[in-house]
Amino acid sequence: MPFSATPERAAAAALRLARVGVDRRERGRPAGAILDDIDLVLAAGETVAVTGPSGAGKTTLLHAVAALLRPDRGTVSWGDTDVSAWPERQRDRWRRDTVGLVFQDFALVPELGVIENILLPLRFDGFRLPAEARRRAEALAARVGIEMLAPRTAALSRGEQQRVAVARALIRRPALLLADEPTASLDAATGARVADLLLDAARETGASLLIVSHDPALLARADRVHRLVAGRLVAEPLVAEAAP
Amino acid sequence: MNPFPVVRADLRSLRWIALIAPLLVAVAVSVGVALSAQERALRQAGTQAAADFDLLIGAPGSQTQLVLTAIYLQPEALPLIDGAVLAALARDPRVKAAAPIAFGDMFRGFPIIGTTADFATRFGRLAPTEGRVFAREGEAVVGADVTLALGDAVAPSHAHAGQKSPFGVEAPDEAAHRHAGVHYTVVGRLPRLGSPYDRAVLVPIESVWETHGLGNGHAAEGPIGPPFDAATVPGVPAVAVKPNAVADAYVLRARYRQGGTMAFFPAEVLVSVYRTLGDVRDLMVIAAVLNDVVVFAAIAILLLALAGLRRRRYAVLRALGASRLYVLATVWLGAAVILAAGCAAGLVLAQLTVWIVGALVEARTGLSLSPSIATADVLPLLALLGAGSLLALLPALAAFRIPVADTLRQS
Repeated sequence: MPFSATPERAAAAALRLARVGVDRRERGRPAGAILDDIDLVLAAGETVAVTGPSGAGKTTLLHAVAALLRPDRGTVSWGDTDVSAWPERQRDRWRRDTVGLVFQDFALVPELGVIENILLPLRFDGFRLPAEARRRAEALAARVGIEMLAPRTAALSRGEQQRVAVARALIRRPALLLADEPTASLDAATGARVADLLLDAARETGASLLIVSHDPALLARADRVHRLVAGRLVAEPLVAEAAP
Repeated sequence: MNPFPVVRADLRSLRWIALIAPLLVAVAVSVGVALSAQERALRQAGTQAAADFDLLIGAPGSQTQLVLTAIYLQPEALPLIDGAVLAALARDPRVKAAAPIAFGDMFRGFPIIGTTADFATRFGRLAPTEGRVFAREGEAVVGADVTLALGDAVAPSHAHAGQKSPFGVEAPDEAAHRHAGVHYTVVGRLPRLGSPYDRAVLVPIESVWETHGLGNGHAAEGPIGPPFDAATVPGVPAVAVKPNAVADAYVLRARYRQGGTMAFFPAEVLVSVYRTLGDVRDLMVIAAVLNDVVVFAAIAILLLALAGLRRRRYAVLRALGASRLYVLATVWLGAAVILAAGCAAGLVLAQLTVWIVGALVEARTGLSLSPSIATADVLPLLALLGAGSLLALLPALAAFRIPVADTLRQS
């Protein structure tokens, strides 16, 4: 069963980071750069991975792309729009409509059931769910292979939880999927299954996918792999660089 | 937006705290509500019990004591007034009815009240539910709650001031104080008044006088009741007077304020008692409200700490696209649900409390309280709920201000 790209999803566009810099702050004052002079372009529908040592700024880069933070220098653009210039409300709105996020630790709401977790991003605007939302959530749950619709996701295995998280990231049909170490807390086989899901979803819906990861198996499947070292993207994009 | 799924999840994650916290709120708010409802019920019952005592005449002394003894039947030794007053009142055109009320004896905890048949029926307002009113000496008519049957014999004992005996059972020292050779036979039962008179045994005043060796107040043998025409009519502790008109009441009050008697409207005494009662109530309600504020604040601080612990959850919501307002609404609603549930449970608890306390008060005093929570009792609660909602903004604002990227990175 496909993830189904439908006309309502956010329009695909290129993501462009131009000379992005983010400073570390100590007591409100800049104390060195976390990210420096980042230039990165994701064409619509492209899958790009960023790897690098811990503390290199990978997660901060992802947060800058998700407009969760405003870079101290440079711009993050979606198509022709400079998203990083927007006030917080507008960035929240853009993130809701455009971005699907997958976290390393799944970040489900453990007290809610599978379907409620998947529906969560739809709760942020209307009081009532859009028509067909529940059916779509069930279809997504089936697509990511969750048959047992547990009343509490806390009862699910880690692999199942991450698959629910992927379904949650897809419920609003995002044009940009962001995944922060999506396989890092899973064993190899489970991780591979989650990786399959993410890549299939991106391909089938035409969404761009930006993955931050250490997982060689996952990096190997990206169109491009960038290496982030001490807040800077080093040299040329490396393809399948991380193979052991 | 619809924050309720997350609110539900937040409440579920609280587990037993989600039950205990509203319970604490309930206990706190029920005190104030119950106090104010109880005080009103007490006032209503007190006023109702005094309904047939328009004007009270007694020996000069404490008006409050006379009210407590004559209307609420709290045993106390009162000075007597000259029995001639009865004859004077009987002749007075401004008097519709006047009845002596004499106390001092009891039987199995039930006070024995000597009066007239006219007063036993509350000047014709009541008809016995069983049997009839006493018609000759040695007969008695009992209140609705007296556990004696028609035909039962009553042997009066001398009671002493402040005596408190359980109703329906013979006190250990009752036999020692029994008036020898005096017996009444129950001939009737009165309907329920909701007053201490429901536990009284009413007998002819003549019998009480004779029990104490004072004659029977009549010049010759004949029917009981007024006029009391003996050369020397024995004294009585209290006379209940029903004036013909309001103006007459004031004239009578003035007339019997001199010459060895005092006269007053029990309603006046009650008003001043209620004023004091109301002041105490106000003080206690203020104390209760302060108490509520402390409990609300404690819960707000608890939720503030929880919002801190849940920073990551709220940061994730923001990362998934929730606005600051959504997070604010979620945390605020969670707190508001706890407070509102607590207040609702508090109302139920308050109603239970006033029922139980009402039953206890009735058991002790015979005053039948019918307490119920009224709008006036709930209004302060609404104000509290408003204040609580403002306090609930504290954790909500804390969650509102969470720095999303920093919080996500920290974990």
